Amino acid sequence: MAELALVLIAGAKFGAIYALAALGLVVVHKATKTVNFAHGAFAMLGAFSSYLVVVHWQWPYWMAYVLTPPLIGVVAALIEFLILRPLRRADMFTVVIATVFLGIALSEAFRLTYNTELLAVPGMFVGMPFVFHGVFMTQETLWVIAGALVICVACVLLFRYGRLGRGMRAMASNVRGAQLCGYSVDRVYMFAWFLGGAMAGLAGVFVAPVSGVSVELSIAIISAGFVAGVIGGFDSLKGAILGGLLLGVSESLAAAYVSSALKNCISFLLLFVVLMWRPEGLFPETVARRV
Amino acid sequence: MSEPRRLLAGLAPALVVLGATLAGLPLDNYPKYVIAIAIVSIVVGASLVVLVGLARCITLAAGSVMAIGAYTSSLLAIHLGVPYLIGLAAALLTGAIAGWLIALPGTRFRGHNLAMVTLVFQSVCIILIREAKTLTGGAEGIHVPAPSLFGWTVRSDGDFLLLIGVLSALAVLVLTVLVRGAFGKNLQAAAGNEVAAEAFGISVPAYLTAAFVISSVGVAFAGALAAPRVRILDPESYGVMASIFMLAYPIVGGMHSIWGGLLGGGGLRVLPEFLRPVADYQELFFASLVIVVVMFFPGGFVELIRRGVLALRGHPAGPREAPQPAVAGAQAAAAVTPLPAPDGAAPLLVVEGVDRHFGALHAVNAAHLTVPVGGIHGLIGPNGAGKTSLFNIVSGFLAADAGRVAFDGTSLLELAPRDRIRLGITRTFQHVAVFGQLSCLDNVIIGRGRNGVLAAIGQSVDEMRSGPLTARARGEALAALDAVGLADLAGMPAGALSLGNQRRLEIARAIVSDPRLILLDEPVSGVAEAEIEELRALLLRINAERRIAMLVVEHNIPFVARLCRSLSVMGAGAIVAEGTPADVIAMPAVRQLYFGEDVAA
Repeated sequence: MAELALVLIAGAKFGAIYALAALGLVVVHKATKTVNFAHGAFAMLGAFSSYLVVVHWQWPYWMAYVLTPPLIGVVAALIEFLILRPLRRADMFTVVIATVFLGIALSEAFRLTYNTELLAVPGMFVGMPFVFHGVFMTQETLWVIAGALVICVACVLLFRYGRLGRGMRAMASNVRGAQLCGYSVDRVYMFAWFLGGAMAGLAGVFVAPVSGVSVELSIAIISAGFVAGVIGGFDSLKGAILGGLLLGVSESLAAAYVSSALKNCISFLLLFVVLMWRPEGLFPETVARRV
Repeated sequence: MSEPRRLLAGLAPALVVLGATLAGLPLDNYPKYVIAIAIVSIVVGASLVVLVGLARCITLAAGSVMAIGAYTSSLLAIHLGVPYLIGLAAALLTGAIAGWLIALPGTRFRGHNLAMVTLVFQSVCIILIREAKTLTGGAEGIHVPAPSLFGWTVRSDGDFLLLIGVLSALAVLVLTVLVRGAFGKNLQAAAGNEVAAEAFGISVPAYLTAAFVISSVGVAFAGALAAPRVRILDPESYGVMASIFMLAYPIVGGMHSIWGGLLGGGGLRVLPEFLRPVADYQELFFASLVIVVVMFFPGGFVELIRRGVLALRGHPAGPREAPQPAVAGAQAAAAVTPLPAPDGAAPLLVVEGVDRHFGALHAVNAAHLTVPVGGIHGLIGPNGAGKTSLFNIVSGFLAADAGRVAFDGTSLLELAPRDRIRLGITRTFQHVAVFGQLSCLDNVIIGRGRNGVLAAIGQSVDEMRSGPLTARARGEALAALDAVGLADLAGMPAGALSLGNQRRLEIARAIVSDPRLILLDEPVSGVAEAEIEELRALLLRINAERRIAMLVVEHNIPFVARLCRSLSVMGAGAIVAEGTPADVIAMPAVRQLYFGEDVAA
């Protein structure tokens, strides 16, 4: 039982990070109907910003959490302004292509500035782990699980009750109608990208001590975030959080009890199964209308 | 285009590949090597034009498909000593299987989900190759022996260039025939407007599957060609990054022509060789290049070059519709009035007791109507009366809960929309649904309805050699265009026409297959007042000359009243009145439906 508990805790840790990554992806998709394939690169930049603050400049750790989200958020909003806005009338094909290559460009820009394979970032907490009946949990792990999930829930509340959240939902269901009601498309889209970028950046700060900063991180985060989003139905914030946790725990279980090669495949397996049999996701926001 | 010129245009891409090969043979080893790998990328680029450019499917699996081709031919040679050419053929087969596997989920998704599904295929393939160490050598890679065919062992760079160049030219030739021919056009139609494509016999899933298979066969072939030249195969060189950069080939080169694949594949593969001093920046440069291209030159470099050439020749704006298109014969026919209803004409289309519910809404309630042979029947009614539902049931885009729809004795309800054209039923669309990328002539050729995948491939071959099928298709299409007054605009892209002319084009597309019934869905909605009368005259003339019956759904009552010989009026899902236009419009029930006039008054 103790072993299972350990596996579940490890899964929840990754799951919480995936949830945060998926949430940013879903927020952008909900408001703008665009899936941002550069999202993983934003998370990687967030992890890099955490490295700069904590290792390079030796500033207090909390500053990484405070500075990174607005910084990456601004980068994302700027990209929305420069690249996505001119493409607003283009079809989904074009937008997906643009964000895929945008992600590559950002990863490469990072690789060129810091020509190393991997940058290590220490954890925020280094104290003694908590032990309970043979199950131990480091302070860092507890912080990641609790911190990431609290932020996720805060985002859901913001989206549900905030004025801009309402604007984003209005945009998503009917752009013209929302414009007529006085919402500015430009402002709402930009804010959605800001919010998505900020969440990706935060996911990056949380994941930096776990996996370090590398170009691979961006592909790992976009894959996991996308799969978690699909599991949740891609338009449901709660679904994205549950999807992230489900994905993290499944990976952890597969790695512990089957094989580590399966760990890499499990997210693809989940994606495939959900897309083929339940494309509306396991936790859909609304019941699909039958027309 | 004259016949020799068309043949030359079809052969040109393959000749360019052959020319590059011959030009490279006297050079040093290094340029020979560069030309050989560029030619392999040209095959990849040309293959991806089919899938990414024409079918507009995003694939992130090109790397794994290339790996499948490379490993198939190489492992057969290593483990079983299979001769090179048979290994190549086997790579074609595994490539086709891979394409078909990707197409299984691939035809169900678009955009981001398709990108992700192909990424799954890519990742799983690479994991499998890495894990199957005993077979594939795993992550360390495996040495590929020098190929030999007919006693000729291919070792030197010159040998490789010759082998790769000749076989690639063949592959490019095949792809050119498909891209330029009916297959490529139908694929563009399927990607551009699924509903219209289905209505004219193009099965969208079948075409997308064919696009996945053909492009995968091409990419796998390229992989197998390059494998012995690469010498050591390892899974990492076929990873996600490789896939993403191959995706860039058709986008940067140009999506709608085979030249885009040549330019994108060859160009992007050769460029790094010139960028050696700044090799570190090449990925960043490529990614930025793609973003710039999709933002500012969606047609890629081919479009850029085409515009440059046009500008040099003094046509800066490209093709434009003539301000006063010739509308031959329309004025002459403007005085035509409906023929008297043929007495005792046999019923052609019979709708009986058709029911359709949407939840609690009884959209169509025991509806019935009859269109006689050669007749023009109108279906009118206020918004929400159920006209569109009934029309969609007849055209096959909506299923009926109950009832009977028979065309000349054949029940239509079980048939998919694309099967109706074979019986002699075609349609037009309320929101014009022309294939904007294609010329007017090609739009009408698609309207002939012989659009099965295999038929289209056969037609493509015929087009290449200007064979009898092509001459006939063009002749029939030109006649149909002439009948609607658009013969002068045959070469114009349909998307560049005015709305009125697009409606005419839809009519040409609907009549070219010599149908017995046309379903017209609001044929004058959005058309300027002056053109409405011309369209009416045109429809009457077509009805009189070609004996084509028509079922018209329309809101413009004066238009319907002057076009049709009989009308049915729908209200709240049921047929409330029928008869000749004059009788029907005078009926109290109809006046009440439209004007709320009290029946008693």
